[in-house]
Amino acid sequence: MIPASDIAYFAPELILTIWAMGLLLAEAFFSLEPRTITSGALAGILACFLVTALFDATPTLFWSDMCKWDGAAKFFHLFFLAVAALVIWMGDEVQEPVSHGRGEFVVLPLFTTVGLMLLAATNDFMLLFISLELATISFYILVAYQRRNLTALEAGVKYLILGGLSSAFLVMGIAYLFGITGSTRFDAIFNWLHGHHALQTGVSFGMLLVLTGVGFKIATVPFHSWAPDVYEGAPNSITAFLSVGSKAGGLIILMRLVLGIFDTESAAAVWIPVLSVGAIASLLLGNLSAIPQRNLKRMLGYSSIGHTGFILVAVIGASVSLAASPYPTDAATGQIAVTVYLVSYLLATFTAFIVLAVLERRLPGLEIHHLAGLSQRSPLLAAAFALSLVSLAGIPPLSGFIAKALVVLVAWNRGLYTLLFFTIFAAVAALYYYLGPIKAMYWSEPLDETPIRLNRATSGVLTALIVLLIVTGFWAQSISALVNGSNLSPNATPAAPVALIQH
Amino acid sequence: MNSFSPLIALLLIPLGAILFIIAKAPARMTALVASGLNLAISLLLLLDYPAAQGSYAWEMNFPWVNLQGLPPIRLHFGVDGISLPLVFLTAIVTAAAIAISPGNIRRSSEYYCYLLLMSLGAMGAFISLDIFFFYIFHEFALIPTFLLIGIWGAQNRQFASFQVTIYLMAGSLILLAGLVALIMTLPPEARTFDMIALQSYLNDHPIAVATQNLIFPLLLVGFGILVGLFPFHSWAPPGYASAPPAAAMLHAGILKKFAIYGMIRIAIPMVHDGFEAWLPVLLALLVGNFLYAGLITLAQKELPTMIGFSSIMHMGYLFLGVACWNTIGVSGAVVLMVAHGLSAALLFGLSGEITQRAGENRFAEMGGLAERAPTLAVLFSFASMAAMGVPGLANFAGEVMVFFGSYAAILPVLGPGYAIIAIYGTVLTAIFQLRAIKSIFYGLMPARYEPRAAVAATAGSEGTPAAPGMTDTSALAEHAPYVLLILASLVIGFMPFLLLHIVEPSVSLLPHLK
Repeated sequence: MIPASDIAYFAPELILTIWAMGLLLAEAFFSLEPRTITSGALAGILACFLVTALFDATPTLFWSDMCKWDGAAKFFHLFFLAVAALVIWMGDEVQEPVSHGRGEFVVLPLFTTVGLMLLAATNDFMLLFISLELATISFYILVAYQRRNLTALEAGVKYLILGGLSSAFLVMGIAYLFGITGSTRFDAIFNWLHGHHALQTGVSFGMLLVLTGVGFKIATVPFHSWAPDVYEGAPNSITAFLSVGSKAGGLIILMRLVLGIFDTESAAAVWIPVLSVGAIASLLLGNLSAIPQRNLKRMLGYSSIGHTGFILVAVIGASVSLAASPYPTDAATGQIAVTVYLVSYLLATFTAFIVLAVLERRLPGLEIHHLAGLSQRSPLLAAAFALSLVSLAGIPPLSGFIAKALVVLVAWNRGLYTLLFFTIFAAVAALYYYLGPIKAMYWSEPLDETPIRLNRATSGVLTALIVLLIVTGFWAQSISALVNGSNLSPNATPAAPVALIQH
Repeated sequence: MNSFSPLIALLLIPLGAILFIIAKAPARMTALVASGLNLAISLLLLLDYPAAQGSYAWEMNFPWVNLQGLPPIRLHFGVDGISLPLVFLTAIVTAAAIAISPGNIRRSSEYYCYLLLMSLGAMGAFISLDIFFFYIFHEFALIPTFLLIGIWGAQNRQFASFQVTIYLMAGSLILLAGLVALIMTLPPEARTFDMIALQSYLNDHPIAVATQNLIFPLLLVGFGILVGLFPFHSWAPPGYASAPPAAAMLHAGILKKFAIYGMIRIAIPMVHDGFEAWLPVLLALLVGNFLYAGLITLAQKELPTMIGFSSIMHMGYLFLGVACWNTIGVSGAVVLMVAHGLSAALLFGLSGEITQRAGENRFAEMGGLAERAPTLAVLFSFASMAAMGVPGLANFAGEVMVFFGSYAAILPVLGPGYAIIAIYGTVLTAIFQLRAIKSIFYGLMPARYEPRAAVAATAGSEGTPAAPGMTDTSALAEHAPYVLLILASLVIGFMPFLLLHIVEPSVSLLPHLK
């Protein structure tokens, strides 16, 4: 007999899976219009969103303790649903519709979302692997969807090979951890680690392998090389999905692992330096390599690597094993910084990619110089793109400023001065390439003066995103309901060391 | 306290004007009306301010953001005798900058929106009593600055606008790190962005001296970059030379004062031990402003870059006044901020006028133009005299107080020597300003202006334009903005007590005064 709470907390995933399958079948048997499928998918997401929003965030284990519901799970569920809604709407309404299989192109992101949502609530390495593969495999298809297009094929192959490689690392790491600790459950491994103060080499090796796998997902240096190519080749909506959804999925896993399980003093002595090096390398490489880019999607690809660096600084700042700070509340601030950063990143990234999706149909290409004089052809598109870039650059009063300010605040407060230095350096370097497109849009004279007209839905969504970018920056209180209490619930520390599991 | 104050009108009026302009109202007219209204309000506030106590007036204080982990942010506005003169300065320079802008400038609605945004940012920074808003209002003004220089600038505007923006952003980020450091070294329950609460907490629980010594340089470099403290000044001269005159007026006249204001309000009173420790360095740098920037100004061969360098050099006086940290020195710095704002706005506006009318900005190619443009010559001479600190104009009042203050303060290393260097700075200013007047307005007129003059003389009628290459400001509308600024400078120059009786009580309330 399945306890009622299991069904309840599993409802979002359940609803979305059944809904997605229903849509696929309906499409096959009744040959629905793509538009109808899009509306259907959006309705399903809305239903899920409402159901999830109703749950309170009291930490609970469910589904034979393989899943965990807490503030972070709730936040990331809502986050992934919002991402999915934007992706699906963009995919069929804004950008050039795909040439074949329009129905599946709408439905597949739903499966990805189910995978990502499960990922947010996972409490077990088995479930982690399965949900990650569910998300990733649907991404393989989505990235290479325009299979007649060479760049799309290249992107698909690159993503497939590197994705497979990262899964291999992950499985290897899980095997090590299981082999030594005797469990795949997060709380059991946590207890094992807290019971054994000496960190075995095998555990840290397994941990590093798992982190490598996650590093691919969040595109941190040195596992970033797929990002610019895949970003350039994939359809715009999928690029945005990868850039926001996949990154957030990797981050919640990263936080569940390093903050939930491996936050003991001896393990932190291994992962904090590793992540710090990754963060610094991402900050530098992402932001400096974006400077010479002429293609906007590649530029945003590199910049997203840079943003991973900023977020990693906050993740490191959320560790309770850092010795520097005397104040216990400070660790929680690190997690808040991650969630705020993700919200601001979602708003800015989707604004940018919606603009790019519109422009791809109207301009000869997506190089910076193609933007020339956009402010005169379509003030709304230019303003939306400019504000999204300004927000990504972290300039007040836009939402990106609050996010960056929180990262700076966390880094200072936890004594991460080296990271703080590189954070500020990277933020300054980033200004340079974010200002380039703004220059093209506002200063250069247009080659083609015809105004670009937007349909009502697109201009409505863009206006709403602009308003949100400004409001969440100037009045950060507006997202407090979303981010306050979005913390990971800590695993209970065992009162006495648990018995060594014999095997 | 929790009621709306008239200060919010100072922000809502330009904001409303921007919305009107977006809704296709006539841009220049709307901007003029809005800036005129703001000027009127700020004058009323100046007259109505209860000066005797020197405390904050017209406060409004609402909770704004309570985010877990973030110190509470409050929407807290208020002015005292230090910020109120700057509010007035912002209003008057904005009105003048909008008034001198041509009505037929291309993409005019965008242009006026950006000017109003810049002014809005400066105004917001001066009336904010919450560090968060203080900081973001200033940042708010940087993107319009970037666009103004980039779209309507002259010479190599592309390079200049990138350089200015990235330099200033870097400065702001360093400043941000300093402010975060200042707030986050406090225990969690004491952390706040509210300037008043922060100050009163720090008066009772000063931060450990070693930490202060780390925080102060961050604030000093951050504010120093924003204001052009030597050696962080290199963005300013090319930036100002390329900027459209109105943008240079707003930035050099107002926005730059944000950093000096921040030194007075935050850096020195809150991190006072750090300030004491770093004072010799600050003094060495400001000597650099006087001597290095001063001598470079002498060597300039073009009008706009000369004015740009001279505005950097004059920051030395402001830093000196602040570094004294006694009532007379700081009051002098506040008066001088207003005075320099007026004179810098005048000089940048007039230099734009001259450059545009003469079609030339090199001293060697100009001369004798007083004959063509007597009104401009008079206006420019007034502006130069103000910058030189001639008694009767506002700069004199401020500079004298700064000199006295620096004598009284017994500063380390050179002692009274700083006052002497500052006075030498005045001599340098006199040299380059008088030389500019001489080479633009007197001496031989270059040949290319002559024939047209001859034509005008033979035509003999008033109606024909004198020389297409160089015309004078003729209509009242054209010189009114400059006359307004000169009048303000004269009033403060002859009756400095009008300003001082507002400034001094508030300055004397600052902590740690010598």
